[in-house]
This record gives sequence, structure tokens and C-alpha cells, in this order.
Amino acid sequence: MLTITGLNKTYPNHKRGLKDVTLTFTPGVTAIIGPSGAGKTTLLRSINRLITPESGTVVLGDQEIRTANAKALRRVRRQIGMIFQDYNLIEELAAIDNVLHGCLGAKSWLAGILGRYTAAEQERALRLLSEVGLADFATQRCADLSGGQKQRVGIARALMQEPQVILCDEPIASLDPASTQAVMTLLTDLAKRGLMIIVNLHQVDIARDYADHIVGVNHGQIVFDGPTSALDEVALAKIYHKEAVVTDA
Amino acid sequence: MTQAPQPPVRPLRPAQRATRGLLLTLAVISIYAGLTMQTDHLDWGVAVTSFWHNLQLMIAHPHLGQDTWPALWQAFTNTIALALLTTLLGAVIAFFLALATARPFAPRLLALAMRSLMAVIRAIPTILWVLVYATVIGLGNEAAVVGLTFHSVAYLTKAFAEAMETVPPAKLAALRATGCGFWLTVRHALWPEVRASLLSWTFIRFEINFTNAVAVGAAAGTGGIGYNLFMASAFNFDFQEVGLIVYLLLAFAIGLELIAIRMRRHLAH
Repeated sequence: MLTITGLNKTYPNHKRGLKDVTLTFTPGVTAIIGPSGAGKTTLLRSINRLITPESGTVVLGDQEIRTANAKALRRVRRQIGMIFQDYNLIEELAAIDNVLHGCLGAKSWLAGILGRYTAAEQERALRLLSEVGLADFATQRCADLSGGQKQRVGIARALMQEPQVILCDEPIASLDPASTQAVMTLLTDLAKRGLMIIVNLHQVDIARDYADHIVGVNHGQIVFDGPTSALDEVALAKIYHKEAVVTDA
Repeated sequence: MTQAPQPPVRPLRPAQRATRGLLLTLAVISIYAGLTMQTDHLDWGVAVTSFWHNLQLMIAHPHLGQDTWPALWQAFTNTIALALLTTLLGAVIAFFLALATARPFAPRLLALAMRSLMAVIRAIPTILWVLVYATVIGLGNEAAVVGLTFHSVAYLTKAFAEAMETVPPAKLAALRATGCGFWLTVRHALWPEVRASLLSWTFIRFEINFTNAVAVGAAAGTGGIGYNLFMASAFNFDFQEVGLIVYLLLAFAIGLELIAIRMRRHLAH
């Protein structure tokens, strides 16, 4: 279980990113929706501390993340996969090399620096590429792949970590409808295996179609937190309607 | 019939004004020097004939003089070795200093301090650094190695840091998010993205260092082909040997350029 309690983040330009956010995530797909600049990405990146909040706690299992030291942070990050809107793959490398990056954090420093992967790790990377439908593209440079293929390499990289949680920062924002469907179906399949999938989305209809749980964010505050079935027009108005915006005093 | 509107005359930019001012000053100095030159003992006919004769000796009749082929070959390989050593040393040191200079890695103040220090070192020509170290260490290869490396480090640190800054920070964050520490992120996210650029800059610096190694051979007494060139020209007035050495240098430069072209093609794919 992933628990967030009283999380606050203010940026150097005094913009409030998060205000007293408290949430609990369980296995399944949780979609975070809200208008642009609402704090969705800040919330997601606070979970694996790519952004460090000023106060509050983020606890995965029994490990507190916000105040963890560097070693503990690296350890807990291995349990949290992340995929990005812009894929953030190393384009010059082959798909399999990018997938293998997912296990670097768990290797010894020397083996990691030398890029020495065991046969088991290489087999696993190939199997994961096969699972995401890219077995034939293992040795292809990522620069030569399509957007949808790159995103699936990103998912395979995250799975290589054997994570408990996968954070997805607008994973379908750059994809066509067919690729969107492929990626979202893949994520829901992973959730069925017991993974926590937390996905930032701009499209409410996609969130309704694929998510088990929805979190609505506006101006850094949680304005909706409930099952997908409870997301009605009143809830959407609270999330997107300007009158529902709670301003920071 | 109406007259076509004339484009407005744009005032010169400060850089254009400075360039024109400099060219005008140089023109005035040249004219003054020409007018006041002492030509009492100068026979223009002899001067022109001698110049033409020496040029012919250099270009059309290159030949060994005081030196032997093995001696020239050894001097030539010394110069190449000096350029190669200082470039490799400079590249390795510059890679680590660039990590302390490039914005994705270095704090703002450290990056500013490093950039300023490297700019100061680069502002002084390589040959002067070699002479500075020659006064400290003494004339010889040691001064040349330290001086050439010193300037190479400053040059390559700037080039490497700029190459590193082109890598989107999000790509580095993606690897950090998997649990990788600083050096693993550098090795697996930064290095693959910048290695082509770094290799290209290192090769360019090798070309520069080869030229510098020839120059310091004479100026700092470090030996090498530059010393042979200096002795053949300024000491022995053996223009046939000067021509031969110049042709050797030219052949090496063309060879380097061909390698650079192949390398750029290879890196582009």
C-alpha cells in the first residue's frame, strides 16, 4: 500500500504545487485527473521524490520516502517504476539496452558501471519486450521506433525493476488512438497482476474506461477521491470548473 | 511616376563599428610603415629574385638536408605522441570537470566559477602557457606536456559541458527514478547521448594540439618536428628541407582530415 499524508509543495516562484494532500493507493489503476497546472505531475513526482515536498509523508510498505537518505531512496525507487509522456529513453541505444536499464539500480556499482548484465537479466528483458509486443524490435535503436513503441519500451523498462508501483506521467499524451488503447490495455493488465498503477491523464473518458479509482486535483488540492463509478458531473465540475477552484490564501 | 521607397539606412552594430575601426587603424599603420621603411640597403630586384628562388626550392625541390629520414621520422612521431598524450589527458580530465560545469549536474555557483576559470585559461594562448610552465619546470617535454594539457582541459571542459547541457534533464531523471545513483546515471544516460559529440570535440582538439606541438617544438625547445623545422629554416637556411617538412606536415593534416570526415559520417549514422 502507498500512503501519502499531509503533503505540501511550494515552488520557488511561490506557486503552490500541492496543498495538504492525503491519499491512499491500493493495487489497481488510479487515474489522476485535473486541469493543466493543477499539480498532477507534482503529485506523481513527489511519490518517487523526483520533486521533494516541504512537508508530509509518503510511505511505501514501511519505507518513508520524503525524508529517506540517499541509499534508502535509491532502494525504494527500485520498487517504483515510472513512465513518461516523452518516453525519456536513451534514443541512441537499442530497445533491449533501455529495458536493461531497469535493473541497474539493483546491481553492484561495478557491474552497473561496466554494464554487465547476467544471462537471466537479458532473458527477462527479452521476455518483457515480448510481453509488450516488441520482441522483433529488441536490437533496434529507440530513435527508429514509433511513439507507441517507445512508450511500450518505457513500460518494459519499468517492469524490469519488478516494481510494486508504476507511475505514469501522461503516458498517452503523444500517442494516436490505436497506441493509446494498446498502452492503456497493457497498464490495466499489469494492474490485474497486483501492481499499483498511478496514471496522470488529461482525457476524462479514458480515465473512466480504464481506471478503477479516480483522484481529482485542482490548484494542488484533492477535490475528488473515489471509485470511477462515483465520478459524476458534480465531481467533474469540482475538478474542472473554475468556481470550484480553492485558491491559496 | 512615383519613386520606389528607399530602405532605411540601418546604423552599424557595435561589433561592426569595432571591426571597421580596427581595419582602418591597421591600414593607416601599414601605409605609415611602408612610407617610413628604411630601404637604403634593399635591392628590390635581388629581394624578389631570392624570394622566388627560395620559394622554388621549397615547393619544387624538397629534399633532405642536415637530417636523415630516421631522425625526421623520430621527430615526427615525437610530435604526434605529444599531441596524442596531451589530448587524451586533457579529454579525461575535462570530462570530470565538465560534470562540475554543466548545469544539469553542477550547482549554479560552482558552474559559474568553473566557467570563469576555464575562460581565463583559454584566453591565454597555448604557447604562452607552455612558456609559463617552461619557466617553472624548465625547458623541455615536461613543460610542453603540462602547458598543452592545461589549455586542452580548459577548451574541452567548455565543449564537453555544452554538449552535456543538450541532454534533456528528464532523461537523466528517468534513470534516477529507477534507483540509479549519480555515476550510473552519468554512465548509462549521459554517456550514450554525448559520446559522439565528445569524440568529435576531442578529435578537433587533437588537430589543434598537433599544430601546437609543432610550434612548441621550436619555441619551448621540446624537440619534435617543429624543432627540425626551426633549425632548417632559421638556423641552416635550408629551404629544401623546410619544403620537405612542410609537405610531411601537410600530408599528415590531410590524413587527419580524411579520418575526421569518416568519423563524422560514422557518428551521423
